[in-house]
Amino acid sequence: MIKKTPIAAVVAATASLALFTVGCTATGDKPATAAQPAQTQPAKPDYTKMSAVELAEYMVLQSGSYDLAQPTQEGTTGRDRLVQDEIQKICTDVARSGKEIDNKTADKVVALAQATIKYPEGGIKLGDWKKGRDIAWSGFGFRTAHNVDDHSRGAPGGNCYNCHQLGPDRTGGNLGPSLAGYGKLRGTSPEMLKYTYEVIYNPHSYFACTNMPRIGAKGVLTQQQILDVMAYLFDPESPVNK
Amino acid sequence: MIKKALCALPLALALAGFTSAHAGKAPEDILDELAAKSKSAYLVQSPQNRMMMPDNPAYEVIEEGEKLWKQKRGPKNATLEQCDFGKGPGVLKGAYVELPRYFPDTGKVMDLESRLVHCMKTLQGYTNDDPQIKQRHGNNTDVMKLMSYIAYQSSGMPWNPPMNHPLEKAYRDAGEALFYRRAGTLDFNCATCHTTTGGRIRASVLPNVKNPMEWTKAISWPAFRTSQENVRSSQHRVLECLWQMRYPNIRPDSDVMIAYISFWTDAARGQPAILPDLKR
Repeated sequence: MIKKTPIAAVVAATASLALFTVGCTATGDKPATAAQPAQTQPAKPDYTKMSAVELAEYMVLQSGSYDLAQPTQEGTTGRDRLVQDEIQKICTDVARSGKEIDNKTADKVVALAQATIKYPEGGIKLGDWKKGRDIAWSGFGFRTAHNVDDHSRGAPGGNCYNCHQLGPDRTGGNLGPSLAGYGKLRGTSPEMLKYTYEVIYNPHSYFACTNMPRIGAKGVLTQQQILDVMAYLFDPESPVNK
Repeated sequence: MIKKALCALPLALALAGFTSAHAGKAPEDILDELAAKSKSAYLVQSPQNRMMMPDNPAYEVIEEGEKLWKQKRGPKNATLEQCDFGKGPGVLKGAYVELPRYFPDTGKVMDLESRLVHCMKTLQGYTNDDPQIKQRHGNNTDVMKLMSYIAYQSSGMPWNPPMNHPLEKAYRDAGEALFYRRAGTLDFNCATCHTTTGGRIRASVLPNVKNPMEWTKAISWPAFRTSQENVRSSQHRVLECLWQMRYPNIRPDSDVMIAYISFWTDAARGQPAILPDLKR
């Protein structure tokens, strides 16, 4: 409710006029009318005066393009999926530069990633390779948008086959290196198991700004699921090593 | 497979007159020429889909769209024939390949879908609450039929979205910044999948945004998707990408949507549109 003093009336009229002007170019279909009191939403900025990166950020988080309130399977919201953490920000800068990552930045990313790694209590012990095979094959999980993955129907998979060749009986992608013969080629020393666990848990700990997801650090797979996938990689009986 | 072949026969006979009415090259001929020039694994990955192209189910959807374009409909009982897609009211030839673009009458950068919806509202009187506006996806929606028809009028023509108005540049450049923005549960950006040549997700070869001869097929929508048995739009493709990237739901005609489409159309500049396309 606006007090009917001369100054307040001028302020209200000016604010309404500004909103009326802005409202004509807003993405909504309800035009503002000059007579209405000032509304709480901020005026849309001039997109032509913003840098591409600033505008992109505005579009993602402030333009109403996404359903930021959409619930996620992990109990957060769409906004949380889109607000970048430090590794995402650094790696986005690298991607936008069009250049290879420099050593200093790489070292920083590696250090950030190493700090996130949580090892299984009781040590790294290979799990069940048959379960690991199913986890590696399944691309189910964490999708929301127009078709929400219902995690009560089954655990999310790791989708490893999307990017990697693994067993000879299935077609894997080539965005990542082939893992065929993984255990056969490397053996199962404690150092090799530790390295493999760390790569899966947070691959930036060795490959700064890799395209590979942070399977453990972002909660895509549980620790036990990672140990099952490792069995699929290392067990001599696994198709990966046949 | 057999069902599709049986359905294709009467369609092929019925289309004999239909396709000859369109002056341009058949989409499969455009594809074959690009494949020969580029030697791209992406372009030739499905001989089955290539064989189906002359009998593309999208042609039926296009025919429906042509009827809707000329039909008096909506509260204002008007046709869409005065709709201006940037080249003048009712000018459809070459209009689609010059989108997205800035429109002075709305002050916005608009793609095919958002501009069509604008015309359905202003010329025909539909509102956001009407199913004709709300339902965007599937062979049976007005929007899909009309878009398929309108886009078809640009088949074989080179992608050429204007880049003169500051807002056109702003959306295109924001789209590029978005292309490289890593986010979501899996830290994906568009570049994760679309900056290699011959890169594969499982058995599917991916198009490289930096290779215009591949990228033109990537963005040639509306296209019939065999895996979904429906013609799909550009905005539907963006939505499906974001879904796999574990991003939240995106609104039709939104700024992010237009920005992505602005950037991806600019990336195919100069290469011929393949319309209607047929994809996995």
